[in-house]
Amino acid sequence: MSGPARAQDSLHEEEALGKAYDARLMARLWRWVAPYRWQVVATLLLTAPLFLLELAPAWIVKSGLDRVQRDGAAGEPGMGWLDRLFDPPGSIDGLAWLAGLYLLAMAGNATLQFVHTVLMARTGQSAMRDLRRDVYQHIQGLHLGFFDRYPVGRLVTRATNDVENVSEMFSAGIVALVTDVLKMIGFAVVLFLVDARLALVAFLVVPVLAVCAVLFRARIRAAFRLIRVRIARINAMIQESVTGMKIVQLFRREARNQRDFEALNAAHRDAWSQSIRYDAALFAVVEVANGISIAVIVGYGASLVSGGAMTIGTLYVFIDWMRRFFLPLRDLSAKYSVMQSAMASCERIFQILDTAPAIQDRERPVDRARPVSTPEAPPRRAGGDRPGEIVFDRVWFAYQGEDWVLRDFSLRVAPGERAALVGATGAGKTSVIKLLARLYEPTRGCIRLDGVDLREIPQRELRRRIAMVLQDVFLFSGSIAWNIALGRPDVDRRAVVRAARMVEAHRIIERLPQGFDSELRERGGDLSAGQRQLLSFARAIAHGGDLLILDEATSSVDAETELLVQRGLHALLAERTAIVIAHRLSTIQDVDTIHVLHKGRCVESGSHAELLARRGAYWRLYRLQFEHAAPALAAG
Amino acid sequence: MSAAAEAPTGAAAAEAAPRGFARLLGYLRHNRGTYLLGALATLCYAASFAAVPVLVGWAIQALEQGLSQAEVVRRCALLAAATGARGALRFSSRTLLFNGARQIEYELRNDLFAHLQRLPQSFFQRWRTGDLMSRCINDLASVRLMLGPGVLSVVQTPILYLFVIGAMVSLNPLLAGLVLLPYPAFLWIARSFGRSMHRGNLDVQEGLAALGSQLQETISGISVVKTYAMEPAASARFDAANERLFAAQLGLIRVNSAMPAITSMLPAAATWIVLYVGGHLIAEGRMSVAEFFTFAMFIYELTFPTFIMGWVFALVQRGRAALQRIDEVLGTAPSIADRPDVVARGPLRGEIEFRRLSFRYDAGREPALRDVSLHVPAGSVLGIVGPIGAGKTTLASLIPRLLEVPDGQLFLDGVDINRIPLRTLRSSIAMVPQDGFLFSMSLAENVAYGLPSLDRERVIEAATRAQLAKDVAELPHGWETLVGERGIMLSGGQRQRTTLARALALRPSILILDDTLASVDAETEAAIRQELRQVFAGRTVLVISHRIASVCEADRIAVLDDGRLVESGSHLELLARGGLYARLASEQALDDELVEALDHLAGDGTART
Repeated sequence: MSGPARAQDSLHEEEALGKAYDARLMARLWRWVAPYRWQVVATLLLTAPLFLLELAPAWIVKSGLDRVQRDGAAGEPGMGWLDRLFDPPGSIDGLAWLAGLYLLAMAGNATLQFVHTVLMARTGQSAMRDLRRDVYQHIQGLHLGFFDRYPVGRLVTRATNDVENVSEMFSAGIVALVTDVLKMIGFAVVLFLVDARLALVAFLVVPVLAVCAVLFRARIRAAFRLIRVRIARINAMIQESVTGMKIVQLFRREARNQRDFEALNAAHRDAWSQSIRYDAALFAVVEVANGISIAVIVGYGASLVSGGAMTIGTLYVFIDWMRRFFLPLRDLSAKYSVMQSAMASCERIFQILDTAPAIQDRERPVDRARPVSTPEAPPRRAGGDRPGEIVFDRVWFAYQGEDWVLRDFSLRVAPGERAALVGATGAGKTSVIKLLARLYEPTRGCIRLDGVDLREIPQRELRRRIAMVLQDVFLFSGSIAWNIALGRPDVDRRAVVRAARMVEAHRIIERLPQGFDSELRERGGDLSAGQRQLLSFARAIAHGGDLLILDEATSSVDAETELLVQRGLHALLAERTAIVIAHRLSTIQDVDTIHVLHKGRCVESGSHAELLARRGAYWRLYRLQFEHAAPALAAG
Repeated sequence: MSAAAEAPTGAAAAEAAPRGFARLLGYLRHNRGTYLLGALATLCYAASFAAVPVLVGWAIQALEQGLSQAEVVRRCALLAAATGARGALRFSSRTLLFNGARQIEYELRNDLFAHLQRLPQSFFQRWRTGDLMSRCINDLASVRLMLGPGVLSVVQTPILYLFVIGAMVSLNPLLAGLVLLPYPAFLWIARSFGRSMHRGNLDVQEGLAALGSQLQETISGISVVKTYAMEPAASARFDAANERLFAAQLGLIRVNSAMPAITSMLPAAATWIVLYVGGHLIAEGRMSVAEFFTFAMFIYELTFPTFIMGWVFALVQRGRAALQRIDEVLGTAPSIADRPDVVARGPLRGEIEFRRLSFRYDAGREPALRDVSLHVPAGSVLGIVGPIGAGKTTLASLIPRLLEVPDGQLFLDGVDINRIPLRTLRSSIAMVPQDGFLFSMSLAENVAYGLPSLDRERVIEAATRAQLAKDVAELPHGWETLVGERGIMLSGGQRQRTTLARALALRPSILILDDTLASVDAETEAAIRQELRQVFAGRTVLVISHRIASVCEADRIAVLDDGRLVESGSHLELLARGGLYARLASEQALDDELVEALDHLAGDGTART
């Protein structure tokens, strides 16, 4: 527990969790609230009528009290005009009229309160919906290397829980705080207006309260910070233990683990016990202050009333408004904790948004007239100057640091040529195709497509030209048809069916209960590897890119599917510039050129015949494979 | 859940675990001191609560009756004192009950964690980590809220009502009867809103889950999303989920805001009655202004507890659902535990025997292992090879009983594995699983993970054997470097060597290596093999690999295919048979040959071993 790295870690943790208000974060957040600023303004404006409707009921009761007392009571108080406002028209019973008004005011208050809360929350939720969308867009735009390092679960938490925390701030945090403060000021002002002397006496307790609040604030903040740090540790420990439970059990660490956990858990409970104490104390102090202020109002007010300077109804008004003044103070610490977790979440969300995508389109990409391929008509393999030339020019590449995967790698594939990459595991084949799709960028050197550096081509344009089939076929939840079209509007049902026919995947698809509309269970978990392969072939054909990138699957499939896969592959290879990572002899025999990769370099290139004639590595490979695998292949 | 039900159930499963509220009762009983004190404080609080309006009325009465100013002030001082006492009581009832809830949360979380540590691997394969975490954190928080503010309010509100009603009736029975008329409507409000709140909460939870899985899908398939330029389509799907969540949230907000708005009409109606009826009574001289104040105060004081009841209603709903989710975890019996018929014994020698062993993960699924019979003498090395998915890892995981072993099919030192105490069993076995999982601790602590204390000597010895020691100097803080998820990123090879060192540090009698050296480069692998040869002496070793080269030196090699033991024998015997092993060997020889040829071609063949 004493490593320097650990100490630094927790320090950072605490810093990130301590703040309840951060002007910088709030200013940034405004970007998402700005589109709804009129709703914010409306919410704030609503505070005024809401405030009036909170004032009114007590005044109506006062009018009633004064009315029934008028016969006996001496003199009219100074604010008689306000009472007259509630005078009944004509001959209606005064009390009935006032009681009706009272009910009306309360109903109006309830309605307005409802509108106010909904509006406030709606503003927050709208902003948060937009924030979620932007977080998603940003994540989607990040380069592949980011996802190698950032666990999926954590990203999901950012877009869900963290955004939820921030939205809490709108319904229970900052906006409520502003409204509360406005109301408190309002109550103080009207109390002084009604009777300055009594107000002054009643507010005598407020400075004491303010001192208490300031004293508690620092402690509550410290307590909450402690709580957050400790719950984070509990979280981390549960997560780690669950993930590594196999190791925990294998190495019989259960008892020690339990001890460690109980210590963390107890520390968390004790941190809470502090916070509970402050919270309850604040609650009690506010209540006592309120009670004392009532006692003071009654005690001092009594002398005013008996002196005839005030009516007994005004006493009622004072008691009621004073209580409303104290109300917001009670859940101050709850609001504080809402703000604190909102700020921490904000920080984490912005961290994601601040991660610049390492692969971005150039400001003004080279504009080149290019025949746009459509799913209907892939470019013909005919003339000499047809597009599709791929050049790797002295490319160096590492996923991390200096662990070179490709070293000074060069390769040229002519338009319409079909090239195979051959080599042992870890030779760099997969990296070559990932670089070509610009999922990663070369560390040094450059890759050119038709003479243009890949970095100059907008990603969207580049990838529309590429048909990629990876070894591990990823299927989305949705129907088979959706998985072939992948939501592209220009790939309609006809194109989907035709693509499936071309690779003979339709036989398998049509065997399913709902054919092309069959929903894939658990992302295609019910399909065999071969069937998934065929679907991905259909996908590649349907999207009609003129550059085929294929990582052939090694998994063995049943004889029937194997035949379909081979035929599908043949269809796929026809009429396209292709780079194929080949694992089957039959595939190698289907291509024009073979490149042998070794430790990130291209060590041999040439046609099958040329390479055999050279009697180099490929020749040995071929002889071995032919001798060993021929019987197996023949059996298949 | 079915696997656990299917598997041989231990003694722990036999006793029916209490569920839901019954389970909570156990914890409440445990903390009855706190809760009784809390209830007492609440009772006193309720008395002081009712006293305040009465005292206000009393002070007003002095004014009304024209008593001396000193008398008024005296009564007000009493009022102030009463509110002081009320504050103190409120403080104690809140701290007592809230701390009690925290204590129960603490105990429940400890028990949850302890329970998780007893559950078998099959459980963790079925449950997602995030799901379990949310049960240990969020659901527990819901239970705690039910026990803290929930219990406080449930205990307090009826008492408050009783006191207030009593005081009101004694003051003015007629007005009291009229004023209380609106309140029963609260039950109706709570019932009708409770249901839509529950529904709304569920909708939002589902919306969040759907949104999360949409994002998860995009990330998992990010290469496809990018290469097929399907960002707009993927965004559209996310946006749809986002809009659905938004709509669900608005729905919940409406319900959540409507309930307090409607509830606030109850005290409004009561005050309305006081104003109208009480006003007339005062005008007729049948009631005093002081009584009016008292009634108005009572109504006001009841507002907050009534409001809270609505919230508490939702809390209890949520708490009950959360409790159910926690029960799902706690109710899963640990299917791998010591049984009453265990045989106490010393450390194992290391003889392993499978007798017609069959195993399936789930009742509905194909068996992962069928009818495997195999004898491994103590001190020998067994290699296990076969294609991916053949059942190699399953076979190995049965030996330390990470999975539920059927009775009478697996014997260690001639004893049925289910009759060996887990402690003895696992302290005699060290396994290096495929995934190089490391904990967020220092490198040294990770290597010493299975040792009772951090024994430097043993750590360094194990690390040297695993060829890890030479890497340590290059790490930023040497042995103290924090690794694991929150630490630095070790390379795949370094991780595997660390997990190997962790196992070697135990000096077990049975060592299981599950494809341990896949990410280690060839040179280091050769060095490790050299070291392992010494380590292997006197131990039973199982080496699992899909590579022939890793197992060919074993005393005996078992070849698995589709859950069956298809061949076994020494390397040479198996080659001679010309079966699956021979085929795998030739395919891999091809690969090795290729590398060799390429090395030769690349001109650095001499640098390699």
